Amino acid sequence: MNLIVFPVILNLFSAFLIALLWKKSKIYSGIACLCFSLLSLISVILLGKYVFQNQYILYYVGGWEIPIGITLMVDALSYIFLLVLNFILPLICWFSLTYMGKYVKSSYFYILFSLISTGLNGILISMDFFNIYVFLEISSIASYILVAFGLKTEELEASLKYTMLGFIGSVLILVSIGLILGKTGTLNIADFMNIAIGMDRIQLWFILGLFISGLALKTALFPFHFWLPDAHSLAPSPVSAILSGIFIKITGFYLLIRIVSNIFIMFSESKIIVMGLGLSSMIFGALMAIDQKDIKRTYAYSSISQIGYCALALGIGGYWGYLGAILHFIFHSLSKSLLFLNSGAIEYKYKTTKIDDLKGIEDKMPYTTMTGFVGMLSIAGIPPFGCFWSKIIIIISAIKAHYYGIAFIAVVVSIITLGYFLKLLRNIFYSKDENPKINEVNFNLLMPMVLLSIIIFLGGLIFSPNIKIYIDKAVSVMENFSYAQIMEK
Amino acid sequence: MIVYIAIVVMFFVGIYGMIVKKNIIKMIIGVNIIGYALNLFFIVIGYRNGGIAPILVPGMTIEEFVSKAVNPLPQALVLTSIVIDLSIICFLASLSIRIYEKYGSFDLEKIRRLKG
Repeated sequence: MNLIVFPVILNLFSAFLIALLWKKSKIYSGIACLCFSLLSLISVILLGKYVFQNQYILYYVGGWEIPIGITLMVDALSYIFLLVLNFILPLICWFSLTYMGKYVKSSYFYILFSLISTGLNGILISMDFFNIYVFLEISSIASYILVAFGLKTEELEASLKYTMLGFIGSVLILVSIGLILGKTGTLNIADFMNIAIGMDRIQLWFILGLFISGLALKTALFPFHFWLPDAHSLAPSPVSAILSGIFIKITGFYLLIRIVSNIFIMFSESKIIVMGLGLSSMIFGALMAIDQKDIKRTYAYSSISQIGYCALALGIGGYWGYLGAILHFIFHSLSKSLLFLNSGAIEYKYKTTKIDDLKGIEDKMPYTTMTGFVGMLSIAGIPPFGCFWSKIIIIISAIKAHYYGIAFIAVVVSIITLGYFLKLLRNIFYSKDENPKINEVNFNLLMPMVLLSIIIFLGGLIFSPNIKIYIDKAVSVMENFSYAQIMEK
Repeated sequence: MIVYIAIVVMFFVGIYGMIVKKNIIKMIIGVNIIGYALNLFFIVIGYRNGGIAPILVPGMTIEEFVSKAVNPLPQALVLTSIVIDLSIICFLASLSIRIYEKYGSFDLEKIRRLKG
């Protein structure tokens, strides 16, 4: 089905169109970017029918069959990621229409925004190692530039650090792709899996180790996390929302799922490594988030902690572990995008994100406060909101797999998370301040946040048996699917 | 074999430049050397001793071509890889110009304000 290429083509076309026609105009560039991201959302929704009827859909680029050409594939797992990605991107673009107005050349933002969407969509539909690498680099380079978009001194430094470490991550991934090509002579994942059965285990371990460390750098799991707080807290807020909400999850976590549970299925030990990385970053991120002076830095450390939950659930495995990983990905993406947009709205009015300078936002910006409240309590795991369900499923999965210690630590980290978010709520939202000048933000800034918080609020209700069928299909992809099945047909 | 050793040496020279050196320009040169090492690695993967260029000229059978030509796939990949390296280097160079405007120095010790 040709519909599979549309999310990539539309966004790429949007980038070139804006660069050619509307580079001078702030308004047209933003509206063009919003329209194309909405079109890409529509194409993804239309694609859903075909994905869930069949187990997966394939598209041969240029008509070349599997070992020769590039193959694109969407199955239930990548479809859920595609849907979440393409749902969040138009909302962030809508938010940027007003927010990015304060920058001089905001039309360049939309070009890079479209390129990031191209790369992220491309990673999700590729079934070819080098194709994944190329799309990874498209989105990474656009994100390096977007971190430095404001050209302030700290932003430049954060971008330098982020670029250097992102480059090392890409190099590790590229070396392992080179080894795969040298050892098997193929880059297609399905073809590789057929050949890899007869390969030496030590060589495969080496490739897998390089892959996992490269992806851990991209995901910002604990020993490789140090670029994330600077890059995510200093970037412009919509960019932080993309990076923290979906970028690290697709360039890192999605590929980690594929590598660990679909490609290198013969090494079940690799899951223990992922579990260890996830556990340590979960604890570390939560401890570091307690004592930060800046809201966006708190959110950034909280991202490290929550991506740790995702990796932990992936490492635990089994039906409940995988279900928890996918649900936590969905709800954390929505909540963290909401929180970063919320901090952007506060920054838009107050011109600062320092916790000490912000007081009594509740009196002046009641709707912004409500959305921030929903986002924070959701990530902290308070019952009606989305992340509660995913966290409790992760804890259940740990208990079912007899990791009682890990379940206990997950509960403790969740309490710490609640602690630092309550502290933030009390300090910046519900405190007294007599500064009458500030009023509520305008419609364009408010509506994306309200939409996101409605989805998060209804998370528990949406998660009904009708929806669970679709998520179960993604879980069964993680449990049973291996790319070698494609070659057998 | 000696080529592979050369690639590993080049790779670690680049890593040394990126990690040990405190000057941003030298770090960028390190990035560049790592990129070259990887490109060379891909070329060597596809190389065969005494191989010919992978172009099917008239009068050559497919079997003859397959037995003699070098693997064209890594060469195509290197082209992409060069473009990616180029864009990263370009971006880093323009970033370092901006950093020099702000701080008046390329020295990381003087630039470091973020705690990490």
